[in-house]
Amino acid sequence: MKKNYYLEKLYNSKKPFIIYKVNGGYDLYTDFSKKIILNNKNINNFFNKIEKKKNKNKFLNLYIGFFSYEILCNLNNVKIPKQKNLNFPKGIFYKPETKIKIRKNINIKSTHQNYNQLFGKQVFNLNRILTPFKVNIDINKYKKIFNQFTKRIKEGKTYQIKICTKYKNKSLINPVNLFWKLMKTNASPESFMIRDDNFSIVSCSPETLIERKGKTIKTKPIAGTLRKTQRTNKRKALFYFKNNIKETKEHNMIVDMERNDLSKICKPGTVKLSKTKYVEEYKHLYHYVTKIEGMMKKNVSIKDIIVAMMPGGSVIGCPKISTLNLLNLQEKESRNIFTGSFGFIKFNGDMRFNIIIRSILNYKNISEISVASGVVVDSTAIHEFKENYIKAKSLIDLYK
Amino acid sequence: MIYIIDHKDSFTHNIVHQFAKFDRNIECENFNKINYTKLNKADVILLSPGPGSPKDYPITSKIYKKYKKKKKIIGICLGFQQILFNENGEIIKQNKIYHGFQSLVKVTSKKSLFSINKVFKVGRYHSLKLKEPFFCKNFEITMRCKISNVAMAVENQIDQVYGFQFHPESFLTENGNLLIKKILSA
Repeated sequence: MKKNYYLEKLYNSKKPFIIYKVNGGYDLYTDFSKKIILNNKNINNFFNKIEKKKNKNKFLNLYIGFFSYEILCNLNNVKIPKQKNLNFPKGIFYKPETKIKIRKNINIKSTHQNYNQLFGKQVFNLNRILTPFKVNIDINKYKKIFNQFTKRIKEGKTYQIKICTKYKNKSLINPVNLFWKLMKTNASPESFMIRDDNFSIVSCSPETLIERKGKTIKTKPIAGTLRKTQRTNKRKALFYFKNNIKETKEHNMIVDMERNDLSKICKPGTVKLSKTKYVEEYKHLYHYVTKIEGMMKKNVSIKDIIVAMMPGGSVIGCPKISTLNLLNLQEKESRNIFTGSFGFIKFNGDMRFNIIIRSILNYKNISEISVASGVVVDSTAIHEFKENYIKAKSLIDLYK
Repeated sequence: MIYIIDHKDSFTHNIVHQFAKFDRNIECENFNKINYTKLNKADVILLSPGPGSPKDYPITSKIYKKYKKKKKIIGICLGFQQILFNENGEIIKQNKIYHGFQSLVKVTSKKSLFSINKVFKVGRYHSLKLKEPFFCKNFEITMRCKISNVAMAVENQIDQVYGFQFHPESFLTENGNLLIKKILSA
């Protein structure tokens, strides 16, 4: 990518901004005229306000930001017992006034006329690790939880459940630097970063949870990941997924669950698998993917869509509500952004949201990387524990 | 009208859409928020899948007993087990667990609405199963897993009670719509 004077200045300023991966490049949003910090009291108001907005199709009439896992549980009337937490916001949405399309060329559009003079003091921060990464659940604890959940599966209380582990260190980070480093190795389709005054998020999330345009709504669950080696190719990856009973069962379950979630807000008979169980190839891995879409019923609100689809099933387990309850009884530490959703809502109701996984949250000089993998009857505790470490490692390596 | 009792499952709305193909008038409510006025008006009651075992849902058991013989009752997965449980069947854990599993089912009884010996693919999501032998007046196990022989469907045509251990609404089930159509028009 070409060096761009405006971008360099922006990166070295203290201005908050967001970068979101799109087809063929990245969109950067900045000059936020509003910042809404969500809580259980104001979230309904937030949805209502968007529904009532005028100038629905005007340039940059959208909110971009994220919902935490906790607020999504609460929207589904699932309560979370008291957990250890950093008091990180339960969700933040921003109203941008400037959008920069980062493609082969850089294209800047803004509602401000003098947008290119809006920089403050220039600073450059290096990444500094103050303490090494530590995992919050050791293998013995993990085994205990794993066995407990296996028991619940045998009793039919849940069909699949995902245990979350967290890696944390104390560190000061330059999120711009980490993000572009990450994009060199893993520019997954739902990548994003947020830099704000007191926190930052760097993510290479792969999964699109909601893509809504007009009456059409789509979701693209991923269940099944295979690392690339010199001996693999797309055809072999498909053969591997099809013949791996564990991956196939997990995938099937997610597909039926996502069909169900779409069916809550779509007209009967319109929910269809538009592409079933195929392989998508990325730089370092293959994903096993299904595309599902439907036509929305009349009078479905923005809130209805969020509640029906979130938190995204593929990172929770199934059935969703009873599995969320089992997870929340077990987890002693807040998930914060992990398995929440990042994306935007336009004032006309169109939206795109991902599932936040494979992400770094840096807040109060603590970086946390959360990962989860599934307990199904065919897996073993040691295998899944290691799998979690592998998932975290690619992000941990960025700090080197 | 079809009244669907949802046991907070993540597949219930697939069932709502499937049944909507055959009846425009469908109500779906949580098992702990039943609207009895609507329930009384229904021609068919459907007991949805869900987590746990039949004994966890005394409200549904009461409804089953109250409306049996008065309305057509259909049970899917947990709903299938609820029917059997309330007919003094025992629901037990199985060694091999089927979640998201596609397997072959065979029609094993002449008394079935479906042609005997027919084999087809179905989607399964269950940890528990019916303990056999199971005998109950007018109830007939009509389909079985082709490999393990586990009970997969129950039919009582006199009282109009039908149940499937597998999921007719799953994308893994062949001809799921046909199964439902036949039962609704029986």
